[in-house]
Amino acid sequence: MFRITHLPVRGVALMLAVAIVCASLLVAAVPGPAQAKERVVRVSGWGGTDIAIVEELIDRFVKPQVAKEGIVVKYEPVADEFSTYLMNSLSAGTAPDLFYVDIYWSHGVFASGAVEPLDSYLAKSRVLKARDIVPDLLKAFTLNGKIYGIPKDFNTLALFYNKDLFDAAHVPYPNANDNWNTLTEKLRKVTNKSKGIYGIALTPEFARFGAFAYAAGFKPFDAQGHTDLSQPAFADAFKWYTGLVREGIGVLPADLGQSWGGGAFATEKVACAVEGAWMLGFLRDQAPNLPYGVTLLPKNPKTGKRGNIIYTVSWSMNAASKDKDAAFRVLEALTSPEAQQWILERGLALPSRAKLANNPYFQKGTPEAQANKIVFAGASDGYVYPFSFGKYGGDWMTPINEALAAVMSGKATADQVLPDLTARLRQLTK
Amino acid sequence: MKMADMPTIPRGSATGRRSKVSADLPRPIRPGAGAAYAETIQPDPRWIARRRWARAGIIYTLLLACSLLFVGPLLFALLSSLKDNPSEWPPRLDPPQLNPANWAAAWQLGRQGGGNGWFGQFAPGRSVSFEVRYLVPPGAAAVPPQVQVPRRVPGAGAGAVRLGPFAADVAEVSPPQEVSRQPLARGTVVTYRFRIRNAGTVAVDRLPLDVSVPAGQVFQGATLWPSRQERQGRVQSWNNVTAGLIPYVFNNYVRVFRENYSRSTGQNLFLAWIRNSFLLATVRVLTTLVFAAMAGYALARLRFPGRNAVFFTLLFSMMIPSQVLFISNYLVLRDGIWGLAQIWGQQTLLNSFTGYLLSSVVTASGVFIMKQFFESLPASLEEAARIDGAGYIQVFTRVILPLARPALGALTILTFQGTWNEFFWPLVVLTAPQDRFTLTVGLLSFRRTYGVAFDWGPLLAGAIISALPVIILYLVFQRYFVEGISFTGTKG
Repeated sequence: MFRITHLPVRGVALMLAVAIVCASLLVAAVPGPAQAKERVVRVSGWGGTDIAIVEELIDRFVKPQVAKEGIVVKYEPVADEFSTYLMNSLSAGTAPDLFYVDIYWSHGVFASGAVEPLDSYLAKSRVLKARDIVPDLLKAFTLNGKIYGIPKDFNTLALFYNKDLFDAAHVPYPNANDNWNTLTEKLRKVTNKSKGIYGIALTPEFARFGAFAYAAGFKPFDAQGHTDLSQPAFADAFKWYTGLVREGIGVLPADLGQSWGGGAFATEKVACAVEGAWMLGFLRDQAPNLPYGVTLLPKNPKTGKRGNIIYTVSWSMNAASKDKDAAFRVLEALTSPEAQQWILERGLALPSRAKLANNPYFQKGTPEAQANKIVFAGASDGYVYPFSFGKYGGDWMTPINEALAAVMSGKATADQVLPDLTARLRQLTK
Repeated sequence: MKMADMPTIPRGSATGRRSKVSADLPRPIRPGAGAAYAETIQPDPRWIARRRWARAGIIYTLLLACSLLFVGPLLFALLSSLKDNPSEWPPRLDPPQLNPANWAAAWQLGRQGGGNGWFGQFAPGRSVSFEVRYLVPPGAAAVPPQVQVPRRVPGAGAGAVRLGPFAADVAEVSPPQEVSRQPLARGTVVTYRFRIRNAGTVAVDRLPLDVSVPAGQVFQGATLWPSRQERQGRVQSWNNVTAGLIPYVFNNYVRVFRENYSRSTGQNLFLAWIRNSFLLATVRVLTTLVFAAMAGYALARLRFPGRNAVFFTLLFSMMIPSQVLFISNYLVLRDGIWGLAQIWGQQTLLNSFTGYLLSSVVTASGVFIMKQFFESLPASLEEAARIDGAGYIQVFTRVILPLARPALGALTILTFQGTWNEFFWPLVVLTAPQDRFTLTVGLLSFRRTYGVAFDWGPLLAGAIISALPVIILYLVFQRYFVEGISFTGTKG
């Protein structure tokens, strides 16, 4: 017979507690497993198409170089929301040794002190020197005179045009000599030629409009770090950009059921779009037979210069990394001339090393190689600024984007919104 | 439907025929009304029938409308996931993938290419016969189309960096031959035929095709409907002519599986994610069942000191949003539960299934469900068992657990679908390597893989696949779901 008793709950709990305390003491007393001789360098970036590129890069160019020094590279791509992941893991002390930093949110990360300045490593290095890198790119990752990242690749804006639509209207293609006025004339002819066709797709975003404002001579920040939109250059660019849409030459992608300029371009209803090399993969997929050409953005007629925006991403080092020398060795291999040449020749991204500007790849006749050449050239032609607004981040652009949207959708005129916009930016950056 | 509810209707002209029927019907009883009156207000049975049908009709129409409203987005997503361009505008409700004529063509072409109809390929030595039809306007000369097998890589995803083999390297296209002419009022429809032969030595899984004609000729049709038309109809373009039936209809689904593999381990990532989600959900269901049942029973039936304190702690823990705890939970996992994980050799529990599972062995709401259920069972059942000599363990396993099947069923389903759909915690805990993601986190990574090229098809296909287990679960276990909701008042 089974005798019914009360469960000795208190006893069991006590025993459990003692067991746990003993176990933890035991664990604390026993030293952890002896650290292996391996010098592990954890490398992280965002996922997507990058994964295949970086994996191959590491296999081909990094592992053979660093394996003999006992360095093991572990690649840990992150599914999405990389900046959030990076901030969290830097705070928690679980961040990788090398990671991507996008210029757009770089200021906060660099200013936090969690990223290692690379100047001393660059000074010592025999294969990676600051002068090897395209200067405008390196400048973008420099804060208070210190270099916090080596740009891995970059993008700028270029003018993509649909050859069919220009041919149909018997209008010459846009070219590098065009300025705002001559381009507007060409676009007007294309627009007037057939119904439902527009000259250019323009988005109400500083990320595109900014290139034209810079061309007119607009400076986003003065020496004191204030933003003054009352510069005539800004108003000129604003009126020209929004005027194209109001005149019916330009069209908002949204009016064609698209979310961005590239989407509108692929519908073959717009003759031009202002985008970067990210268009290439999209067109390859969605419009493989679209006969497109690419040229530099038009010059401002007054300044005679172009403007452009640099979008770039760096490899940066964790300031809390346990083996910084090993991490820098991996960084050297990741940005080596051979690695960058391989990336370029596969048409995957534009290299940050200045010498690769003369690479034979750029002389290839394919539209993609041509496009990459133009995008590469855009980084050092005229007034070029990185896509970064210091500590203000996206807040700096929001009022401008709102004003662009209001004018381009016909809710207000440029003269109505500009005074208020100037005041808002002055308030923000005061 | 009670007769007393029916409004009264004066007799109509058909009284005589009705009296037979009304004998079977209960008479409406009206207080204060005389028998004679009651006789005169007999409701018309045909009217009742009509009324019943009308009510059923309204209810079914409403239910159908509601279900369409709720299921509509899912059906639309399902439809879009089959399309080559899911974000096409305006959206078509009859994509070529749903046309049986194209199914037959895809099957035929897949077989001609050396595949088996279900899954095609383009094998060495095989040749594929293909026809295209164009309308030539009156007065214009019919110009044979130019046919080309392009060297095409997918724009996004792992496919974008693949090295081949490419069909363009092995395919030989015969010059298009005119097969027939059919005069119509608006012009002449000319049919051309050509053959594509694999002259190489390797089998290729994709055979893309571009056919272009001079402006003015209008595309009428082809053996297989093209994936897209470009340059104002001048170019017809196919992604894969010898796809076979399944990759043709379920192109995005096949891509999800084929294009996502880990380049370091060679594992198929999408399968790995599905497996991970299943594994984690199953283990968590088991631990939840065991611990929630035991804890719920203890709280419901056993008398021990501190019982109320435990119960109130439990209740209190249910009131704290998990977002508040996630930083501390993360830190605990990072340090391997204060170093305890070193007992079994783990320095950190981040990026490990053990850590993920340990952090949620059982939920307070699970214990709560079981406690409430056990309290609803009559105590006399246990008393009877004890009189028969059963101990606590025996009472629990032999009497209580079999009775608790409905509650356990509800708990199983709630836990399974909760874990299957859980997103935030796996995103935080399981960040690397890729083949350790759960399906939800894997789908998020698709946003970067495909979304960057606006290639939304695989993302939609993946989402549909991830919804399937829960939909099946709902269909099979509807009853338990309802019970689960009635136990807790919540849905998981």
